[in-house]
Amino acid sequence: MSLQLKNISLVLDGKQFIAPFSLDIAEGEVLTLMGRSGSGKSSLLSYIAGDLPSPFSGEGDVVLNGKTLNNTPPRNRNIGRLFQDDLLFPHMTVGENLLFSLPRGARVEREAMMQAVLTRAELEGFSDRAPHTLSGGQRSRVSLMRSLLAKPEAMLLDEPFNKLDRDLRSTIRDYTFSHLKTCNVPTLLVTHDISDVPVGGRIFEITKSGEVKHV
Amino acid sequence: MVGVGAIPICLLFAVPLIASLYYALIGAFDSAAWQALFAHPQLWSGLELSIFTGATSAVLALITAIIIVAATYETATWRNLPATMGAMLALPHIALAIGLSLLIMPSGIFARIVANIVGWQTPPNWITTHDPNGLALIAALTIKEAPFLIWIIAGLLNRDDIRQIFNNQRAAATSLGHGGISVWLRLFLPQMMPKLIWPLVIVFIYAATVVDMSLVIGPTQPPTLATVVWADVNSEQVINNARGNVGAIFLSITLALCLGVTYALLKLGAPLFRTFLSSAPSSLSLPNLVGIAKYQMLIWFYLVIVVLLFFISFAQNWSFPNLAPIISVRAWTQIFQNPSALITSVELAISTSLTALVLIILWLEILPEKADRILILLSVALLGLPAILVGLGQYRAFLNFGLTGNMMGLFLAHLMPVTAYMIIVLTSPYRALDQRYSATASSFGKSEIEFLWQIKLPLLKAPIYAALAIGFAVSFSQYIPAQLLAAGRYSTLPIEAVTLTSGTNRPLTAAFALLLLLPPLVAYVISAHFGKSRWSTA
Repeated sequence: MSLQLKNISLVLDGKQFIAPFSLDIAEGEVLTLMGRSGSGKSSLLSYIAGDLPSPFSGEGDVVLNGKTLNNTPPRNRNIGRLFQDDLLFPHMTVGENLLFSLPRGARVEREAMMQAVLTRAELEGFSDRAPHTLSGGQRSRVSLMRSLLAKPEAMLLDEPFNKLDRDLRSTIRDYTFSHLKTCNVPTLLVTHDISDVPVGGRIFEITKSGEVKHV
Repeated sequence: MVGVGAIPICLLFAVPLIASLYYALIGAFDSAAWQALFAHPQLWSGLELSIFTGATSAVLALITAIIIVAATYETATWRNLPATMGAMLALPHIALAIGLSLLIMPSGIFARIVANIVGWQTPPNWITTHDPNGLALIAALTIKEAPFLIWIIAGLLNRDDIRQIFNNQRAAATSLGHGGISVWLRLFLPQMMPKLIWPLVIVFIYAATVVDMSLVIGPTQPPTLATVVWADVNSEQVINNARGNVGAIFLSITLALCLGVTYALLKLGAPLFRTFLSSAPSSLSLPNLVGIAKYQMLIWFYLVIVVLLFFISFAQNWSFPNLAPIISVRAWTQIFQNPSALITSVELAISTSLTALVLIILWLEILPEKADRILILLSVALLGLPAILVGLGQYRAFLNFGLTGNMMGLFLAHLMPVTAYMIIVLTSPYRALDQRYSATASSFGKSEIEFLWQIKLPLLKAPIYAALAIGFAVSFSQYIPAQLLAAGRYSTLPIEAVTLTSGTNRPLTAAFALLLLLPPLVAYVISAHFGKSRWSTA
């Protein structure tokens, strides 16, 4: 399992803001891409996920487990994403949020899997709670679990720890990485905070001129 | 001091409105009238038709609106969508119904085209207008109400806060494997529903109680209950008037019950809906083509109607299968020899919309925001209640104060709905203006009047012009109060247009329908032009 980015470049209004680069993320690896705000980190993730909005445009191949995804619609790419906000849907309970991403199956089984996931997230008995009654840390955990339940083949993390309190941040970070490790999927993390980088992980940087360089 | 701002709007809007409601409701205490109503042979069939046409058109309008919004959301079309829908909203219902009936009636354009292809010599046996099931009425209502709902939904989705949250939610749902249908039905719509309920209720009540459109294109044997009531109200006999009054009350109560039953059914169905919400990801997506095609059809329909009315207004002695009529300006000459209805309508529309604007700004400037609730409540009550019920009470109340058969009465009667609509359009943008602008201005030594003229009104020009255009269009399309209060001494365009549709002078009918729709459209274009932001950044 791997996520390969081949000769990817991004353009806005005829101006290239990310120069062609290639990267190979192995299974279980968390690769970090750093850059200032406005450097195009989030646009790059959107390009990989397949929903880069116009007027942006991009070129290059996104290859997941040997399959080129360029013509695959975003919903069929099987790439999970975490955003700055937890994006739990406010009109659904915690349990419904999780079921929303659980693949097709018998109702009882899906229900049981959802409950099992809540237990694993140390949120037993939370399934009927409204998302807004949870703490920030609890919501982050549910959001991560919701992504992983969809059985993604790769993960994109868009500064997911950015809005968390300082003391919560490292706990959630460790929690997230340890869960990603058990899933063993290739993960691309973008951030501007060096403390977000997992120990020993490879780091790339988007320079001012838009080049992606190994640090 | 605070009370001063409230006096004008109370005198000209609130008091007449409350008096109208009072007079409408005291008619309920007449047991003979109730007995007469329940003995009316057309009561139950009419009620059935009213509920059927109202509910069906409301549901169809909602479905159409959702499909069009989902297909155009954040595409190139999206930016122009509110403006296009606004223009459609400006067209009076009656004009649209007349245009549709001239298109689909047995000797209408559509039948002529078919006749020329297959060689018919006489009009076909179609029952396309005034059909017993009210299908033509449902079509006309759906086409008229869909733009309203699209306009409301687009307004919600264009709010910066909502748009950002929704786009993020959509990205999250997509990454979990969900397609467009799932995103709209399971995420966007359930979250928007609380804001859509009142517009939907208004659409339903309007559709189930509409009189003018029903007279033009609705079923006749039997007619809808609103039309039955309308005939009673206009009857020469006092007994029938009383029966009409309780009929309007009965219709209102039944519709309220329908809404109550719908609410209960939705509550009962909630667990099913929750199962649907939490079912597995579905990557189904409706091809955008379907929605775009629907959108194009809607636009083309309105364009065709306008062109058709223009064409027919010049067509004299037009024997059946012929597509090309003898061109004549007789209809237009007739109108310009006696333009009193047009003049009265324009006078009323301009005077009421400007008066309403002044009344509302006086209120908003002098009274605290908390007090707005009273005005909004009154407005929603007026718009949510069947027009025939309010119109009837208005007639009774105005009769007591000598306000029938004169311009003052007509003015006050038109001012009521105009003010109600403008309150709803204007209040929230007016109150949302950043308070700090005022503080900044006064720190420069500007007086409150200077601030109002130099800063506040210019900043609010878009909603102010929009409100004026809406007020103009609302006044232009009033049929019930005009017909009742004019007492035969005055005529307005809706009165003329509805009367003409029961005759056979098609060129004149078409010309009146055009006169009905062009001024509101012009008012809309002018307001859109002057309301435009100075900087075209948005």
